[in-house]
Amino acid sequence: MTDFLLKAEEARRTAAADWVVRLQADDLALDDALAFDAWLDANPRNIEAYDSALGVMQSIEGAAPAIAAQLVGRPVRRAPVSRGWLTAGGLAAAAAAVVAILPFAPAPVASQTYVTGKGEHRAVRLADGSLVELNGGSRLTVTLERHARRVSLPEGEAVFDVAADKSRPFLIAAGDRTVRVVGTRFDVRERSGALSVVVERGVVEVRPAEGAGGRAWRLHPGQRLDHMQGVPAAEVSAADPAQAFSWRTGRLIYRDQPLSEVVADLNAQFPGSIRLEDPALGAERVSGVLVLDDKAAVIRRLALLVPIRALPSGGEILLRRDTAAKP
Amino acid sequence: MAREPSRQDAPDDDPLVAAYLARRQSLVRFLAPRAGSLAAAEDLAQELFLKIAARDRGAEVGSPNALLYRMALNLMLDRARGEKRAAARDAAWRQVSRDSIGDEDITGEPPADEAAASAQRLRHLVAAVDTLAPQMGRAFRLHKLEGLSHAETARAMGLSVKAVEKHVSAALKVLTRRLAP
Repeated sequence: MTDFLLKAEEARRTAAADWVVRLQADDLALDDALAFDAWLDANPRNIEAYDSALGVMQSIEGAAPAIAAQLVGRPVRRAPVSRGWLTAGGLAAAAAAVVAILPFAPAPVASQTYVTGKGEHRAVRLADGSLVELNGGSRLTVTLERHARRVSLPEGEAVFDVAADKSRPFLIAAGDRTVRVVGTRFDVRERSGALSVVVERGVVEVRPAEGAGGRAWRLHPGQRLDHMQGVPAAEVSAADPAQAFSWRTGRLIYRDQPLSEVVADLNAQFPGSIRLEDPALGAERVSGVLVLDDKAAVIRRLALLVPIRALPSGGEILLRRDTAAKP
Repeated sequence: MAREPSRQDAPDDDPLVAAYLARRQSLVRFLAPRAGSLAAAEDLAQELFLKIAARDRGAEVGSPNALLYRMALNLMLDRARGEKRAAARDAAWRQVSRDSIGDEDITGEPPADEAAASAQRLRHLVAAVDTLAPQMGRAFRLHKLEGLSHAETARAMGLSVKAVEKHVSAALKVLTRRLAP
């Protein structure tokens, strides 16, 4: 590389570091923002240099308590005026870091599978204190490892109330997505490749499983993620957790959900299958509360919410669009 | 139910939405240093979109880009200020975020079973920070490890805020050279 190019690279690295620090400055202004935007656009290598500097900065910030703890024997000379509370801050950071870096106690690894039949609800208390409530037609396997709590939900729906344990993340494999959590309460539903996650409390991360496309999402309380297996995209929307959790109380609550989802829910609750005659009917939106008592009664009530008629056909019930019911 | 539209279904009659979609990756990069992580920056960008979608379009003047960054800046100052420092203190060990932004995958915090690799990485970080030249090292440690603001660091070191910014930036440049893969 010529001297000129070396100097240009050097200037680029300087600018990249300057930008990361400037964007954290207390007096950051709109002019800075627009200049930054223009600088990123000016050259793709600017973006590369910036991402490098940002990555290093964030790795240091993320590890700040641990780094501070390791440097404790080699303290920075501090201004006497700030000494008291600086030291207190340093000690607190050190204590936090010790907890994070000692996950070496051996723990037994045991795998356990729980299955529910149609309409069966089951609550399982796991060895780590987490509570899992399984909806009907679900299969769940739990493996408590030393560094992770792994759960797979190949089919079905469950509410997870996860015991907090920062050293052992709670990982749920559902289709081609992994749901990751530290301690929280949320609902995961995987029915025929359609995954949905609704968070009531805490923060939950949903990311593509090894080899799957798409990006990771971080969900907060009141958010819902919908994803179709094999499709890179996922959709995040606002959701009422009470609605997602309603199956636990013998009711299903829907607010503008597709009929196909309602049918999948009912199929998990009742023996025999319910099928849509025309798949396009599945896109019909449903809003309302269904009390889960008797299958025939539930379908009758459903017919009040969407224009359908139920036709017994062999062992199954066929739902047909009722052209007479609504214009 | 507001959701983020894909490029295809963006309403093309709203210049601010168009600007958002065109600038989204730059916005995430803009938000990231203060948000503390790319995942948090993505969340803020998502929130920014919701604000854009819900805004009153009444009296908008000036370039959409300026309005976009004005909104991003306000959101960032509102939301990230208190949260980031708390997050940095509470964070256990977070892996270096050598992630792509936007449509690509991102990785946030790694599972704890990567702790051994992290311990190795931590040693590199500690060594790199420990060997910074005295002034820039001190500014960097006070600001990044002890959590002082630029202004507080300036007071502690008897320097101007601008000088502290220069020291921290110079330190970051040295650290990036040593630590970036």
